Amino acid sequence: MLLQDKFYKVNGVEKTDEQNAVFHCTLLSDCDVYRGHFPGNPVSPGVCNIEMIKECAMMLTGQRLVIKGIKQCRLTAVASPAVCPEVDVTVAVTPVEGGYSIVASIADSNQSYMEYKGEMAL
Amino acid sequence: MFLFMLYQGEEIKKLIPQRDPIMMVDKFYSVDGDIAETGLSLTAGNFFIEEDGKMAETGLIEHIAQSASAFEGHKALANNLPTPVGYIGEVKKFHCYSRPAVGAELRTTIEMGAEVNGVTILAGHTMADGVKVADTQMKIFIEK
Repeated sequence: MLLQDKFYKVNGVEKTDEQNAVFHCTLLSDCDVYRGHFPGNPVSPGVCNIEMIKECAMMLTGQRLVIKGIKQCRLTAVASPAVCPEVDVTVAVTPVEGGYSIVASIADSNQSYMEYKGEMAL
Repeated sequence: MFLFMLYQGEEIKKLIPQRDPIMMVDKFYSVDGDIAETGLSLTAGNFFIEEDGKMAETGLIEHIAQSASAFEGHKALANNLPTPVGYIGEVKKFHCYSRPAVGAELRTTIEMGAEVNGVTILAGHTMADGVKVADTQMKIFIEK
């Protein structure tokens, strides 16, 4: 995993079934990425949030996944460890040929930060 | 091989606000109307390099986003304006065809579309050593 325990850590998982889970995560404010994104203005890179979704999908499926395509990913609010130290990553996977169709979101009790739809390949 | 380049290395810092470890553009080759060409040499220390020595797909998205940001930075510099800060608003129709490995030379073409209320639509694609590795559409929000 590229970002687990570096950019975020997982505090708990609520697994509804083999294809649906909510990952309770903490965004780690001491992640190296904030030195550069941006100096004096720590904002969580949207692509790191996408990578966090991918890694949660990997934990749910127990398989190494590659983002083959993103149909649509909306970044609905600016996230940072100060704004949203704790977030829920909700992941739903549906098996398709060669991988999974993924619908995911990142949110806390206040608002949504990301709405994601795409395909990940094995 | 391009003999002419507008900015490279440290000069890129004039165009984008990102700094190490997440500077994902190190060359800005050219501008022609709404189209710009950028590049990045993939080094082992790159933030997005995974255990297998290849770049994560999200690194390609960040590279394309920063390429667009650099294009905006180039325009700002030409008008004596400060370096704009850009945020990704949406990624749409992204495809990753393969993950480039350490040592690859990324070459990216960005085509900027219409700007509405500070949100710009763009299309970009990235080649690694002559082979297309990714393409996408994107909306970026530029804070001016």
